[in-house]
Amino acid sequence: MSVPKSASIVIIGGGVSGCAIAWNLANRGIKDIVLLEKDTLANGSTGRCGAGIRMQWAAEKNCRLAQYSVNFFENGNEILGYERDIEFEQSGYLIVAANEKEAEQFKKNVKLQNSLGIPSVYLTPEEAREIVPLIDTSQFVAATFCQKDGHLNPFHTTDAYAKAAERLGVKIFKHTEVIGIEVKNRRIESVETTRGRIATNIVVNAAGGWSKAIGAMTGVDIPTYVQRHQIMVTEPLEPILNPMVMGFSYNIYIQQVPHGSIIMGRSDNTEPLDFRTTSGWKFVEEMTKTCSKLLPALKTANVLRQWAGHYCMTEDAQPIYGPTPGVEGMYLACGFSGHGFMLAPATAQLVSEMILGEPLTIDVSNLDVGRFERRELVFEHSVV
Amino acid sequence: MLINTGVPTREQIERRLPSPERRARGPYAMVECFQEIPCNPCSTSCPFDAILPMGDINEIPMIDHDRCTGCGVCASVCPGLAIFIIDESVGDGTASVTIPYEFRPLPEKGETVRAVNREGCVIGDAIVTRVLLSKKTKTPLVTIRVSDGLVHEVRFFNLIDDKAVSDATSLKRKEEPITVDSACASDDDEIILCRCEGITLRTIRDLIREGYTTVDEIKRISRAGMGACQARTCGPLIAAEIARMTGQPISEIQPSAHRAPVKPMPIEFFLGGDSE
Repeated sequence: MSVPKSASIVIIGGGVSGCAIAWNLANRGIKDIVLLEKDTLANGSTGRCGAGIRMQWAAEKNCRLAQYSVNFFENGNEILGYERDIEFEQSGYLIVAANEKEAEQFKKNVKLQNSLGIPSVYLTPEEAREIVPLIDTSQFVAATFCQKDGHLNPFHTTDAYAKAAERLGVKIFKHTEVIGIEVKNRRIESVETTRGRIATNIVVNAAGGWSKAIGAMTGVDIPTYVQRHQIMVTEPLEPILNPMVMGFSYNIYIQQVPHGSIIMGRSDNTEPLDFRTTSGWKFVEEMTKTCSKLLPALKTANVLRQWAGHYCMTEDAQPIYGPTPGVEGMYLACGFSGHGFMLAPATAQLVSEMILGEPLTIDVSNLDVGRFERRELVFEHSVV
Repeated sequence: MLINTGVPTREQIERRLPSPERRARGPYAMVECFQEIPCNPCSTSCPFDAILPMGDINEIPMIDHDRCTGCGVCASVCPGLAIFIIDESVGDGTASVTIPYEFRPLPEKGETVRAVNREGCVIGDAIVTRVLLSKKTKTPLVTIRVSDGLVHEVRFFNLIDDKAVSDATSLKRKEEPITVDSACASDDDEIILCRCEGITLRTIRDLIREGYTTVDEIKRISRAGMGACQARTCGPLIAAEIARMTGQPISEIQPSAHRAPVKPMPIEFFLGGDSE
């Protein structure tokens, strides 16, 4: 199966972002869109993520992006006409503050979130225990909770976007790798793949961890890097842990998914900065320690599997959206730093608007790639 | 090799046999279960605690033949039809094999049938001496008498009037390796291919037709392989089905990634000694 000789837009990357952008553009009537994926859909960061969706952020921009995305996911099956289920369960996120300093920040966060219409609340440990009876209240000083946060199935969501895009005429090529990008007079001319060449003037770089390599094919340095992150999952259990429980200084996120398994992950700055997706022993030791402290009852649950994926990181842990200075026609949707899955609907909306020159639904002009050179970084502290 | 052909080696079988003294004393259960899968009805159903309790559901059943009476309860509950009751104690040149038999029609007591070995070849005649219906498990146990030299070979039988079946299985074993077709293909779409998650062959086939042609893609959409066995049982079957339906050689089908821990382990196991 060879690729078409030309395309209006070539999207590189079959993760949730690439598929969502493809659908969004096609849904606006754009024809001849091609999406290229070197492996299978959702095989990179999307399919390896923790599958949490939250609106409780510290930076206003992230709150707005997440809010837009949650509104979309609430009607995702209907909008995308999906016959399976994207499994959006709004069972909430309980975020615990390990110390007074964190609690003070949380008060500010809730105030900001409420001002935007995000229904989060600030709780004492006792109030938090009413929501999560298993939690050890001696381990934190305060918490915030938002019932509208929750879980979403990454495989089904990507599948839903891809299927809807294909019905609108998008051609998706799995197992098709980009091996070169032809640039003439600083303008994209074509994309060379393992299945042939596609003439196009517009490329969307949604290649996640590989976005840097794609950028390099056009002679541009995209300031992203990869870092391994690990997760483990237990056997399916009766419903015992309704919301996602998360702690930033605790360095944990843990959630029982609708199927019954409990998924948990953490960050570790000593993790390798390359494409390794092997699993490590240190992670399991640290993870089980934190988990047993906060939720002691889980000690007897059986661990079924651990796995690893990578975050496509930027210096300020925020995404890069928009055109690439120096290469006309290359749009970036990368550097999601661990929250690309939950932001996909907003990503798709905004990148489509940028390509079509329409006004932006949410102003993300400061999330452009130029901010790193200008040293105008936009930090977000509420991340694991 | 068992993994390629479904037929255990002589060595694997001999390791399961009780001592000659025990074999001469009376009927005993022969557990021909060689792969670690999450399955334990034999051990929980034995009225004499002869099948030892499993610390881990994936363990291969171990049997204490001194306690085993050859009653056949385990043979009737084993979902894999992998347990047989052998009786070599008669001493008249014959011996009997009790076989879990889930086909219809059932033979009648006294009927002569064709004795079939583990590879599916007819190797002699046998007389049906007992047909035991179990209301509880609905798996009948059929006991057949064969010459005692065959008792460790015979594991199935064909009815004589069922000529088509008899002919097909009495063909000489082919020398070439078993093809994917014969290794896995089933006409019954409703069989459960992934037992941990309860995914049928029909679901797998529908997904392959839909364009999911790797084991991992099928896992991600359907959960097949995400359960306690971590695709050790269903993974190769799904790969074989992909190969069969897409016409690719099975060697080119990428298996799903295997991850730690190999067996489910409790969270507290990982805490180690240095936890507070």
